[in-house]
Amino acid sequence: MSTDARATGRKEGSGAFVVETSGLTKRFGDRIAVDDVDLRIPHGSAFGYLGPNGAGKTTLIRMLLGLTSVTSGTMQLLGRQVPSERATALARVGAIVEEPRFYGHLTGRENLTVIAAAREFEAHARIDGALARTGLSQRADERVKHYSLGMRQRLGVARSLLADPELLILDEPTNGLDPAGMREFRDMIRGFVAEGRTVLLSSHLLDEVEKICDAVAIVDRGRVVMQGSIADLACGGEETILIATSDEECALALLGENRAVASAVAEANGIRVRLRPEVEAEPAADDLGRRLVLAGLAIRRFEPARASLEQRFLDITSRLEEAA
Amino acid sequence: MTTTSATADLPRARRRPARIPRLVNAELLKLRKRRGLVLVTLALTVLPILIAYIVLVTLHATEPAKYGPAGGLENFSGSLYLLAQLGIIAAILIGATAGAADIGSGVFRELVVTGRSRLALFAARLPAAFGLALAAAWVGYALTALASSLLAGSLEAPGAALLVEGAGWLALVVALALVLALGLSSALGSRGITIAIVLGLELAVMPALMQIRALGSLRELLPIVATDSLAPSALFDGEVVVPTSVSVAVLVVAAWTLLPLVAGAWRTCKRDA
Repeated sequence: MSTDARATGRKEGSGAFVVETSGLTKRFGDRIAVDDVDLRIPHGSAFGYLGPNGAGKTTLIRMLLGLTSVTSGTMQLLGRQVPSERATALARVGAIVEEPRFYGHLTGRENLTVIAAAREFEAHARIDGALARTGLSQRADERVKHYSLGMRQRLGVARSLLADPELLILDEPTNGLDPAGMREFRDMIRGFVAEGRTVLLSSHLLDEVEKICDAVAIVDRGRVVMQGSIADLACGGEETILIATSDEECALALLGENRAVASAVAEANGIRVRLRPEVEAEPAADDLGRRLVLAGLAIRRFEPARASLEQRFLDITSRLEEAA
Repeated sequence: MTTTSATADLPRARRRPARIPRLVNAELLKLRKRRGLVLVTLALTVLPILIAYIVLVTLHATEPAKYGPAGGLENFSGSLYLLAQLGIIAAILIGATAGAADIGSGVFRELVVTGRSRLALFAARLPAAFGLALAAAWVGYALTALASSLLAGSLEAPGAALLVEGAGWLALVVALALVLALGLSSALGSRGITIAIVLGLELAVMPALMQIRALGSLRELLPIVATDSLAPSALFDGEVVVPTSVSVAVLVVAAWTLLPLVAGAWRTCKRDA
């Protein structure tokens, strides 16, 4: 990553967040598509913007990129106010919004030439590199109307790279890709993050976000209902241990008496024990193990249980539905 | 090879050329790579002139007593009028395509995402479209001028001043149709609807309105009246349906140029991408 290039697009002392929004709202008539969103995306991470279809993910991205107007609220991209400093901010932003679109009658290279013409002068010299990186060099001189969906997605990424982006905004980038294509895409995104770029990935695919992203914001009906690291969100701030012993009833009784335990529930594969958030997890787990052994129980399983992001997401969204 | 490595080789102190010409070149690339559009444009501007002079030469060769030489002022005037009418159609096709191509293909949002001002994106369309339309019209005009001069025989050939005036007038007629189509298609975002509207206006509505005497001096507001009155007088022998002064004609042309451009620019700046 060219640090010089990045410096040109970023204000000195702009802070650790590449995207910062405050009270961002978008209304279409009476309908609120994006509702009072406060978002902070740290620099150099893959950040997932996760939510069901129609949750307002694309609308938020469109506002960030100046594709649609904002009803209220403020936003900053790379430390610059948008829309007042939009041109400077977007100079170092690459984006794919929904399905990437091209001029079908032009070749892949010509499509990039058109976009490079709208960017800084150096963008033109990045065309060959971007095509090579996305594996399109051999097909670059074919008309885009003959490209497969996967090739179009890759060409979309190549187009984003013309900005030498500090921030890549990808809206449902793996839509329509086969498993191999999705994996290739994941690797590519992680590669960008390894170079120090930030990736904002909007998706409704929980598994995809969990595999790619370091942090995530969960959005539902236009509102960000939770944001944080994947690990934090998955466990919901509670440490959970899965325990299987020779005598489940006895173990449940012992665990139920322990002050460090918030809940102990028997499941098919053992007892799911949730520790209280205020206790220190490691000593508390050590103590539980010791007590079970001292009670004469044989321990067959004792391992931290990590809820999947999917489970957490469904918990959150179903709670919201109940509340509504 | 990475994008970074591609950029690392760039000379840092390289002087940046102006941005607008790159955008204009990109617009021109988009237009000239549309084979169908280019072929239709040439078919409208070059082919009819070629055919017309081949017919005139053939007739003169077979029956010289009945048919005069293929060149000369009268045939020049006739073929220029034909070229202007067909040039208008070509200009409408090009203008409508240039104005609506980005919206129609969905690439407009990709251009907006670059951070480039929407006004600059709109402004780049005009010179590119005008360049293509004028180039095609002037190729047809060059044929006309050449044929009418070389094949004049005993007839009076168009002079150099008239040839220059004719080229300018053709450019004006083509530009006016182009601007109308480009502005309207940028505003509507639809190539097909724009072509239908502007063709209808240019070929049916305006000529019909021009013939309605009851409209009186209101007819001076029609662009077709303005361009007719600005035509070189030697061309049409002063056969102007609605007489109008040069100053009014210039004002009418300016208004019909500015209005579509303002509408197209405004919509380009305001529309959701």
